[in-house]
Amino acid sequence: MDCCEFREQYSDFADRLLDEEAELRARRHLKLCAPCRRFDAAFRTGVSALRDLPSVELSRSFGDRLRGRLGHELVVRALAVDPFSGAVAAMLVMVTIGLVTWDLVELRAARRAAAAAAVSVPAAVWIPAPAQIRLDTVENFHSGFHPFDPVLLVADTNPTQDTNPPRFDVPAVWGGR
Amino acid sequence: MTLAAHASLRATRPGPASAFAELDDSHVVQAFLDGQSRAFDELVARYQARLLNFIYRTIGDRERAEDLVQEVFIRIYRHLHRFDQTKKFSTWAYTIASNLAKNELRNRSRNPLVLFQAIKKHWEADHRPLQFEDSSSRPDDMFRKRHLRALVEQSVEQLPEHHRVVFVLRELEGKTYEEIAEITGCNLGTVKSRLNRARNSFATIIAPHLD
Repeated sequence: MDCCEFREQYSDFADRLLDEEAELRARRHLKLCAPCRRFDAAFRTGVSALRDLPSVELSRSFGDRLRGRLGHELVVRALAVDPFSGAVAAMLVMVTIGLVTWDLVELRAARRAAAAAAVSVPAAVWIPAPAQIRLDTVENFHSGFHPFDPVLLVADTNPTQDTNPPRFDVPAVWGGR
Repeated sequence: MTLAAHASLRATRPGPASAFAELDDSHVVQAFLDGQSRAFDELVARYQARLLNFIYRTIGDRERAEDLVQEVFIRIYRHLHRFDQTKKFSTWAYTIASNLAKNELRNRSRNPLVLFQAIKKHWEADHRPLQFEDSSSRPDDMFRKRHLRALVEQSVEQLPEHHRVVFVLRELEGKTYEEIAEITGCNLGTVKSRLNRARNSFATIIAPHLD
């Protein structure tokens, strides 16, 4: 066996996987070849030192961090995998969307009502001009009629023949009579 | 699994006193699949340190190795129901860890960073942080030991990625060739060939420093 062959078969030699004859040849070569002996010694010393290296310790926060992440996984799984929880979650989402929509509709209606109330102006009412009442007559004076009495406002005259300008009634809420 | 089960997961810390300590991996896995959430704590307790050391020896960055171990457990948790229970759980866990480590090395080669550990190795002895060692050891032994440790760590880091994974799995984790083939997704011949090259490279790197 030469050095090349020895190194080609070195892995099997180190793991004792060579058959009996090949192993004998390899051992014989090792006895005779100083570089291969040094190579073999370097490998064994190195691996031994590697196995003696202090093992790396986990940090103190490792367990807590892992538990936190696993907890997150549980929630995700509950929502995504479990059909019942998924359905419940879907229903919750739909209910939430429904409530928000209902709220918006209500809000819009309330706004519309408020806007309508703010600009509420009573419709114009045609009030015919009061009949000409002469206060200088004794009958009228003593009858107790007053020209601004509301009774006068309903006094009917024919609007087509009336030359006086129309008047608009003033609602009581405005402070008028 | 319910939130109550999650609460139990929260309440228990993994430890040897666990009720599952006597069971082998496959039974612990089955217990977890049957709804006993504490069984997962046992799997974490069994594999966290081993996976951390394996990933650390592969990528050489302790902090990142810890993040990747967390990722391994998250993936195990997510996909345990799909795990083929005729196979070994440890092989599956190492496969996930190996893939994550390889991805990390690939990403790092695309976006090279100077790691603190890499800088630290080249510190002068006077600038190193104070380290306490076994006082019973002789100073020259201590020096040799420290020198050798640094040397073997550097030698492993110098191995190409696909050789390094196989080397660490064999020499540090004690995996069989078949297990390594399964973990790395290679055939047996490739594993043997890579391991032989890795061992040759390791010995060649280290030999001049030992004379």
